[in-house]
Amino acid sequence: MANPISIRRTYAGRHVLLTGASGFLGKVWLVMMLDLVPEIGRVYVILRKKALQPARERFEKIVASSPAFAPLHDRYGADLGRFLVERVELVDGDLAEPDLGLDPAVARQLERDVDLVIHCAGLVDFDPDIRDALTTNVDGTEHIANFVERSDHAALLHISTCYVSGTRNGEIPEQLIPDYAPDGHPFDTELERRDARASIERILADHEGDEKETELHKQALQQIRDRGLNPNNSMLLRNITRRLKRQSIKNAMIEEGQRRAYKRGWPNIYTYSKSMAESLLIARKDRIPRMSILRPAIVESSMSYPFPGWNQGFNTSGPLSYVLGTWFRHLPARNNNPFDVIPVDYVARAITIAGAALLEGCAAPVYQCGTSDINRLTVERACELTALAHRRHLRDRGSTPIERVLLSRWDAVASDPEHLLSTENISSVADGFAKLMRGLPKRWPTGLHRGAERWAKKADSVRDKLNTIDRMLTLYLPFIYENHFVFHSKALREHEIEEPEFVVDTTDIDWRVYWIGIHMPGLRKWCYPLFEGKTPEKYVPKIPFSLPQQPAQAPSGAGLRGEAR
Amino acid sequence: MNDRKTAAFFRAEGTVLKRGVLAASAYLAGNAQKFGERALRLGFVAMAAPLHGLLGQNDRTLATRVANLAFRGMTEDRIAELSEEYARDILQHNILDQGVELMKRARREGHRVVLLSDNIRLIMEPLLPHLRLVDELVCNTLEFRGGEATGKLQDPVIGGHGWKPWLERYAAEHDLDLSQSVAYGAHGPDLLLLSTIGRPCAVNPDYTLRRAAREADWPVIEYRE
Repeated sequence: MANPISIRRTYAGRHVLLTGASGFLGKVWLVMMLDLVPEIGRVYVILRKKALQPARERFEKIVASSPAFAPLHDRYGADLGRFLVERVELVDGDLAEPDLGLDPAVARQLERDVDLVIHCAGLVDFDPDIRDALTTNVDGTEHIANFVERSDHAALLHISTCYVSGTRNGEIPEQLIPDYAPDGHPFDTELERRDARASIERILADHEGDEKETELHKQALQQIRDRGLNPNNSMLLRNITRRLKRQSIKNAMIEEGQRRAYKRGWPNIYTYSKSMAESLLIARKDRIPRMSILRPAIVESSMSYPFPGWNQGFNTSGPLSYVLGTWFRHLPARNNNPFDVIPVDYVARAITIAGAALLEGCAAPVYQCGTSDINRLTVERACELTALAHRRHLRDRGSTPIERVLLSRWDAVASDPEHLLSTENISSVADGFAKLMRGLPKRWPTGLHRGAERWAKKADSVRDKLNTIDRMLTLYLPFIYENHFVFHSKALREHEIEEPEFVVDTTDIDWRVYWIGIHMPGLRKWCYPLFEGKTPEKYVPKIPFSLPQQPAQAPSGAGLRGEAR
Repeated sequence: MNDRKTAAFFRAEGTVLKRGVLAASAYLAGNAQKFGERALRLGFVAMAAPLHGLLGQNDRTLATRVANLAFRGMTEDRIAELSEEYARDILQHNILDQGVELMKRARREGHRVVLLSDNIRLIMEPLLPHLRLVDELVCNTLEFRGGEATGKLQDPVIGGHGWKPWLERYAAEHDLDLSQSVAYGAHGPDLLLLSTIGRPCAVNPDYTLRRAAREADWPVIEYRE
């Protein structure tokens, strides 16, 4: 084993460039470093302009409203603005652009100053529009790699995912395979990118043809008539046609992405695009010798930092656990399949360790960061813990007596997808019931028909909800039913770390305590409101926050204050 | 002068708690994961009930063992969560105030307060914050393998005939003078415990214990609502 790494000494005075700082993981890492390693040099944060809001304004809003920044607000109070200006340099940029959308002078300055690039940015939706996936996950990574190549001495830590392994079973070692595809057949990443781009162009061209236009026009007219609106309203017709066209293009792009991913053995577009990004980087290993890839498994609520249960947005287990709190009971899952969840603060610490190892020159080429190899949580256990957490919540805080007495005791169970009470079967029953209600003999009284129609509509609504659940489950099946992944996470454990607060020891996770007491309450507070179309609880720091106009102390790389090109 | 320490042994069921082991088992069994499973597990508890009634005047270990068989195959997660829930929502409200008063008195008299329960540790431990006077909890331990309950209790099972050797060992470990120690029991099976201790006391005794207490001239305490 190499000498122990001191996180504080290693990062002292070193400049780090961070992408994806507005995301779940990037934010936790940034706060953790600023809070626990104030000796760090400068952290350059690349943020994209959003809705004409420059990086500086976006960052100010994030710091002022995100609960993740609570430890910094608590520690620095009114001084937080000054502290951040001293430590964080905000850079307007766009990873989708070849030069990261940086002003040339700013770019040169960064290339000189930066010691470590942590590339956290990525599109994490399972099945997004293939254009977005390629632009953000593949092109964005390539552009970052170009920047590192041009820089004087920067090392690169690329954040990927364990699931780039695709639909494989068994032990997944920490291994980089050039031009990897899960089906084992030769895969040319560059060729695939070109092919995918050509397909995208083809789909766009298809949507410009007269035939498609006519078809969309007809559909728009039909929609207008169905809604009882005026079909002669040309503006309405144009708008609906445009919306239908956008939707049709998006659907075609998703289908194309899925087709490409499934064909070569990836379960979704996300893992397909992340794997291609890895392949691009592996191909540049000679030109970027100081590079590592960190592959977290399923990143979930924090164990303790910034506070227990912090979570953000639509994450992996959120929708599943939400559904298990409803009347839906049978989760299709294979017994003993690992559900490789890891709290976000463990991953943030893993990033810190891998980054430090890169700076010290002792990094492994790839780090996997999961729990399935030494502290396994199985899908059925996660399902039972979820049910128990819902039970605890519903018994104490259910909004109706039915929730408190009945739903709380209605436990979710892991079962076979072909179970008698599968979504498909219940959906068929609901459909049959609706048909029965609508098919009552005409001679029966009108009142009965009206009542039957009401029941039929209820059955339709149940069927629609079940279909939504079914679509969602289809996305998850590769992870909870079809495949059995065990990710090795040995490389991280090889590094001895001096500061105990940065050690990643997944054996200390007590799944029951974490799942019922921390993770589920976190999801309930920060994520479930989003599923219900509500806004999660707002975070308001005790002392109102704003970024001072000028840095209190000019750094060596001063002058990079959100200069947009 | 005797400098050895003394203890006050309280049999939880009947002296400190209103509810016994069958109620706890029924609660856990009735909240198993699947509906069919609930019925089956409740059946085991129902089988334990007549044993408890018939043999309970003498030895409750068999009834306790059968009642705990109902947990076989249940996950440790579920048993732990339901136990916490049972302790918090039910058992906590069934603590006998007079029992707590007896514990206070024992403490004032300088005794080490030992609570002896037929219930499993997962149920009793969450209750301890509500019984702060207890110095040590001695109760049954359910065996788990691979995260699931085997349905077996680890030996020695509390509530049987093995009080004498257990007490002697316990007294030796803690340097206790049993002749100056106190014991409170409420049921027939507690007889052997009470007879081994210098200062026994029957609390709301059942038929068997009442008769024995009368014969041995032990003090009897009757709680009043």
